[in-house]
Amino acid sequence: MRINSITLTNFRQFSGMQTFELESPTSKPVTLIFGANGAGKTTLLNAFTWALYGDMSEDVEEQHRMVTDVVWRALPTGDSVELAVELTFDHEGHNYRLRRSAQVRKQSDEQEKPSADMRLWQTMGDGSSEEIGAPQESIYNILPKRVSRFFFFNGERIEKLVQKGAYAEVQQDIKVLLDLEQVERALEHLPKVDRRLTADIKKHGGERASGIQTTIDELLDREADSRDELKVLEVDLATLNGEREGVTELLRQHASAAPIQKERDRVADELTDAKTQRTAAITERASLVATRGFLAFTDELATRTAEKAAALYQKGALPAPLKREFVDQLLEEGKCICGTSLISDSPAWHSVTDWRQRAGLQMVETAWQQLSGQITQLHSVRQELHESLQAVVKRITAERERVSRLEETMSELDGQLNDPGKEDVQQLESKRLDLEARIGTKRERIGALRGAVEQTHREIEQKTAERSKAEVTDELATKARARSDLVQAVRGALEEILAIRKEDMRNRLDAKLKDVFGRITIKPYIPRLSPDFELALYQDVNGIELPVAKSTGENQILSMSFVAAVSELAREIRADRQADGELPADAGMYPIVMDAAFGSLDQNYQREVSRVLAQMAPQLVVLVSKSQGLGQVVGELKHYVSHLGVIVTHTTSKSDATEDIELDGVAYPYIRPSADADYAELRGIK
Amino acid sequence: MAQADIGTETAIPRRTERDVLQELTVEQQALLKRVLEIERAKLHLKAADLTDDLLGAVKAILP
Repeated sequence: MRINSITLTNFRQFSGMQTFELESPTSKPVTLIFGANGAGKTTLLNAFTWALYGDMSEDVEEQHRMVTDVVWRALPTGDSVELAVELTFDHEGHNYRLRRSAQVRKQSDEQEKPSADMRLWQTMGDGSSEEIGAPQESIYNILPKRVSRFFFFNGERIEKLVQKGAYAEVQQDIKVLLDLEQVERALEHLPKVDRRLTADIKKHGGERASGIQTTIDELLDREADSRDELKVLEVDLATLNGEREGVTELLRQHASAAPIQKERDRVADELTDAKTQRTAAITERASLVATRGFLAFTDELATRTAEKAAALYQKGALPAPLKREFVDQLLEEGKCICGTSLISDSPAWHSVTDWRQRAGLQMVETAWQQLSGQITQLHSVRQELHESLQAVVKRITAERERVSRLEETMSELDGQLNDPGKEDVQQLESKRLDLEARIGTKRERIGALRGAVEQTHREIEQKTAERSKAEVTDELATKARARSDLVQAVRGALEEILAIRKEDMRNRLDAKLKDVFGRITIKPYIPRLSPDFELALYQDVNGIELPVAKSTGENQILSMSFVAAVSELAREIRADRQADGELPADAGMYPIVMDAAFGSLDQNYQREVSRVLAQMAPQLVVLVSKSQGLGQVVGELKHYVSHLGVIVTHTTSKSDATEDIELDGVAYPYIRPSADADYAELRGIK
Repeated sequence: MAQADIGTETAIPRRTERDVLQELTVEQQALLKRVLEIERAKLHLKAADLTDDLLGAVKAILP
């Protein structure tokens, strides 16, 4: 299938009729279409799938508003407007025109989801056109809807293709592309055909042949039941495996969270210590202020006291144990305080006179010394208080800063640990063990059933051989037996072919995937496709292969690689058939249409993915924004580009919205202000 | 039709589709091809009952 053009008529934001040519030679398979965010890239991608299958992807909002808003608003109530997407394409030597359209009648301002009709025409060799009676069935034959997700996809969501648990679905889907599904279905249907044929043997084949046939029928029923049960069990097993992978992933996250938790514990301890130290410092400061704080106010008091004391000292008025004036008074009165008369030159008079000398000099001096000593000490004690307070304030500041820093670290670590998806480790571990047990039981049952199917199969072969030898005289029964033998032989061959193809396809897809992934990634990872088509990444660590927990980007690369590998393998398989003269030249070819083509990939990965896809896809339509598409992508793809286009955004936004896109040195409109309507314009520039 | 034997892990040569087909009689080969054509044409119809179509193919080969 190669798409030649797409025409949109009033489809979502694409007002009026707009056509974009997509026909491209094999040497230049790429069409690159740029568009700003919200311009209509996803709409354009969905226009392809809407035309082909009549629906759009889940991420498209307001799906009922199919007609362009500005067109709908201008439409008078009661009038109708056309909505359509038309595709022209080639497939297996034929040219087709597909049109899905609706005449949408306006009954109110609100749009209702329109019911669209689909028509398909095939252009004949003489140029005439012939309408195909069952258009949708024909499209399903050309590209089954289920497999279209490998070819029309959003790059940002494509990683879901290879996420845990998705492989059972993927395995089912790619069977169609790899020519496995029709073999499986033939194996389902042929027993029914055989049953119809052998009814004649039972009816007309005579006693012996009829008896053998009855046994064969019973064996076939048993085999069919076992196969049905096997199918259910295999789906259950895939689901359980997916659940186990999910739980294991959560456990891995817990394991990766362990060092963070350890760091958090250390920070929590340090934080407690810092808070204690801060409180102790604050308490110490309070104690200092309470007990010695008054000293801060003694500076002036000490000075004044010293001055006053000095004056008193000068006057000899300092308080002392015995004052000279008192002794003078005793001598003047001629009487001691003890009553002794103090007669001049008497021993008592001399004794008191001696006291006069001592009181006047030594005692006052002593008092002075004591007082001035206390005043000096007051100053140094105040200085000491000042220094103590300075030290404690410094400690408080330091501890406060430490607490603040640790609280920030703690919040950061809590953020890393605070994942609501993380369940309790023990709970997860017991869930994992339970799943392991259930998986083990299912595997045992699957093994037993496979053994039973093989055994039944051998018995059927034996009975069929017996039936061939049994004497049958009736012509109808003889013919029925020959036809049944034919069906049985074909069925046996198809079983073997299915086993060969499955193994072969898996090996080829695995090899191709390794090749493509290796060409894109810079990491030493190796993808591997298991016998059940489960896709996993491994890394060689000192000779041991360990599974890699994939990031979103790695999942995107793996998905793109998978798509590229499936696409190329499908083409190769058809090429094999073609060599046998079974199929036309373009069999197995499908276009790849990618929106948000490079998801969240880095520039270097964008370049590598661009190159690989351009080389591998027979037709590639890439829808990108300027930020994603310019630079590496354009640089890589320019040698492969047939068509370049821009979805020009016309916006009523009041701000100056004019923006251009520069390609090959020429500026093209990218965003343009609009006076009265928002719409998208699909403009081809090459 | 043969398919490449990629990924063979044992020394014993694996049988190919061509080996299987070559062992069939002309009638068996014809029926196998026709059966796959019928199945492929109705691949998109999950619930399709192809018994009559396949029965017709058998009767066309062994009238």
